[in-house]
Amino acid sequence: MGALQGRVACVARYALLVLPLTFVAGALLVPLGLMFVWSFWERAGFWIRPAFTLASYAEFFAGVRLSVLERSLVVAAGVTLLGLLLAYPIAYFLALRVRRDLARNVLLLFTIPFLVNYIIRTFSWVYLLSRTGPVNRALMAAGVTQRAVDWLLFSDFAVFVGLISSYMPFMIYPLWAALDGLDRRLVEASWLLGASPRVTFLRVTLPLSMPGVFAAVIFGFVGTFGESAVPIILGGVGYQLMGNTITSALDVLNYPLAAAMSSVVVATMLAFLLVWYLAFDLRAVLGKIARWRF
Amino acid sequence: MENDGTDSPGVSRREFLERVAAGGAGLAVAGGLARPGAPAWAAKGSVTLADVGVGDPGGDWSKFSGPTGWDVKLVAMGNAPSGVLNVLIAGGGTQIYDVVNIVGGMQKPLVENNLIEPIDTARVPNWGKDTYIREFLAPGKPGFDFIGYKGNVYGVPTVLQGDSFAYLPEKTGPLDSYGALFDPKWKGFVALEDNFTTTGQKTALYLQKNKLASIKDPANMTPAEIKTVIDFLIAKKKAGQFRVIWSSFEQSVNLLTSREVYVMDCWEPMVFVAKKKGVSAVYAAPKEGYLLWAMAAYIVRNPKRSKEQEKAAYELLDFMLGGWYGAKITLSRGYMTNPAAVAYAKSNPGEFGPAEAQEIAAIDANVRKKFQFGGTWQNRWPTHVETYESEWARFKAA
Repeated sequence: MGALQGRVACVARYALLVLPLTFVAGALLVPLGLMFVWSFWERAGFWIRPAFTLASYAEFFAGVRLSVLERSLVVAAGVTLLGLLLAYPIAYFLALRVRRDLARNVLLLFTIPFLVNYIIRTFSWVYLLSRTGPVNRALMAAGVTQRAVDWLLFSDFAVFVGLISSYMPFMIYPLWAALDGLDRRLVEASWLLGASPRVTFLRVTLPLSMPGVFAAVIFGFVGTFGESAVPIILGGVGYQLMGNTITSALDVLNYPLAAAMSSVVVATMLAFLLVWYLAFDLRAVLGKIARWRF
Repeated sequence: MENDGTDSPGVSRREFLERVAAGGAGLAVAGGLARPGAPAWAAKGSVTLADVGVGDPGGDWSKFSGPTGWDVKLVAMGNAPSGVLNVLIAGGGTQIYDVVNIVGGMQKPLVENNLIEPIDTARVPNWGKDTYIREFLAPGKPGFDFIGYKGNVYGVPTVLQGDSFAYLPEKTGPLDSYGALFDPKWKGFVALEDNFTTTGQKTALYLQKNKLASIKDPANMTPAEIKTVIDFLIAKKKAGQFRVIWSSFEQSVNLLTSREVYVMDCWEPMVFVAKKKGVSAVYAAPKEGYLLWAMAAYIVRNPKRSKEQEKAAYELLDFMLGGWYGAKITLSRGYMTNPAAVAYAKSNPGEFGPAEAQEIAAIDANVRKKFQFGGTWQNRWPTHVETYESEWARFKAA
């Protein structure tokens, strides 16, 4: 009887998984698979036809678009690092140094920018950082500079400002969640054993918050790497990330090239995840999935 | 023109929403929820017009619906070549749209993919009355490439325009050459459009007319000629000549109104908007000529379309060449439309006030002057379009 009940429960569990698994397969895996297959096809007039050619990959790796991939990686890594440096202290103080109700209110405040349209938010930086904008006017009024500072807008600086302001709030939440759930008795034990605050942070708090860091890095890196609006609006003369150059290939209906570039992007992301996985013990983050596999 | 197209094969988000909206509207009608006071003429059905945002006469199609008994269902469509082709080839647009009104010159890819039908001009009574077609777009003239392909007519020209560049005379004084875009005097205060067929072609026109490069036809360059143009632009970019390349209407207007740039490769409506915001921007009359273009309304190829529906599509094309529609579009968009527009506005003071009629006549005369002066016709799908794109990517990455 018990065995039968267990079997029924098991079947029910799998039945429950059918819908999400079908959704993931249909909305994610099938399109990704098609994209990968199309990257080897060849163009036929304005469409594509089945073939196996590496021409699109050759075009990508031999052309200027490879430099866009390099730039995308550098920008995504830079934005993620800076975002983490800003988000971690904020999350730390909210989780461990501030009253819980106040922390909740501050976290709520971080959601307010998301109520404003993303493009409008990005355009507001154009107004703030332009030659005649408030930042330049304030700098000139304070005597910091005689003439408007050009590099505030349409520059790497502006792109970093736009990307960090867009993705850093996403990084705060997982960090806060990890730090808030930290067993404080372990921190107290560290103190009782004579460790300094710095050592306690480095050997107890930081390692235990790594699942949050991992999630924050994923949010920051993936979001930035695929970004296309911020570079167009804030980046100046032809500032491109991978999203922009893929769109550009689609403008002339070069689907195989766009698919090849997209496949390289996905492969790059997977490679990063693998390195991250091997470099850190992510079983705590991945939980049961990791335990199941290893 | 603006690149805001759908970029993926399959049903785009926009199209999906349109279908949902269409389905919702159908259910509403079926359920007796039609708008109270809805016109009785909508009984025959509707002609679906996909438009890039220029061809909407303020939502008022009563002048068409009244006489014909057909309503017009207007849906938005991106203007980028990829967007148009994706929607029609992969997105099933041929089953949805009757007429698409986009910037012309797209006949080659559209015809070769069996996406549009040749137009029997005898079924468009206003065609023969339109002197602009005879003057600027007739077979044998360069403008024919905007509406025709291999001797057949595929598009009805709904608006015509000549593009150049804008400048702020308070900062630069009068300017009359595309050379201003590349003049070190305005280094760091110049913006270009992110579009290889407009910026690339204007630069080619400048280089050709000033004998700075050997370019046979700026409208259809060879790979070597494109490389020459891009090398020139890269040299200027590296010297810090350009502040930004813009990619949306709002962005470019803002560049002018905030005086972030003094000289900008752009469209004339941006100057109209800047002027309304109190900035005395001027749209230049360059000695090298203009980048000429026309919008074309194409009949989408759909073998399943009924004879009645096809007749209605032809009636819509004829309406779009008429005086009322032309006057409305000229007044709201600032583009030349058809010769009947000016006369209609003048002779119908109840519909167009004297100031409006005067404005329509002024816009018409201004654009006509540009066409008479000449320049180069924009080529939306040049022979070596992929080289254009890859070379433009090189410019952007430089």
